[in-house]
Amino acid sequence: MKNHLKVLRAARDWTQEELGKRVDVSRQAINALETGKHIPSLDLAYRLSAVFELPVEQIFESPYGADSKPAPVTP
Amino acid sequence: MSGLPYTPMNTRTPVSLYRRRSAILLGLYSLLNIAAIFGAIDGLRGPATWVFAAAVAAPILAHIWAFLALMRSSDEFLRGLMAKRFIVASGITMAVFCSWGFMELYAHAPHLPGALIVAVFWGAFGLAMPLVQTSH
Repeated sequence: MKNHLKVLRAARDWTQEELGKRVDVSRQAINALETGKHIPSLDLAYRLSAVFELPVEQIFESPYGADSKPAPVTP
Repeated sequence: MSGLPYTPMNTRTPVSLYRRRSAILLGLYSLLNIAAIFGAIDGLRGPATWVFAAAVAAPILAHIWAFLALMRSSDEFLRGLMAKRFIVASGITMAVFCSWGFMELYAHAPHLPGALIVAVFWGAFGLAMPLVQTSH
């Protein structure tokens, strides 16, 4: 999942360690997010959203595209 | 991340706690085995031998608990990574031991003691480390 974490973090002059502390995860987790080795849980995505004061959609790019329709919900 | 706070200066991070627990448990395991090798249990008979065998196995069981406790107290990325490696290592261990078991049965391969499964598992875990780098 593509994301803008590295750019957003650099704009605030935070290290991976600092960002990790702000969202209560390890430096390795931040590095894994930035390099696409980890897809965050909804909870972590919202914690990052709160720290950057941005909507989740502005941090993470939808892998399904902006125009794609969601898959139909089957009972 | 639940449990202990993650700070570089905090010596009670989940990893350091795991290392300390591992050193104590595996040290105890080694001591008991060394004692057995040097004849400490030669005089034991009947149920006492079972008690000693259970005492040797206990640190190994406790070490598995310590590893699972490390997983529980780690953040979601490290937990996912460790869980994947644990599963891969379990699969490799089962494959190796099952294959060797059939070789013993049908090809008269030398018997491997079941206690070796722990060493095979951690060897397989080491193999899985460079192969499993993502949590998904």
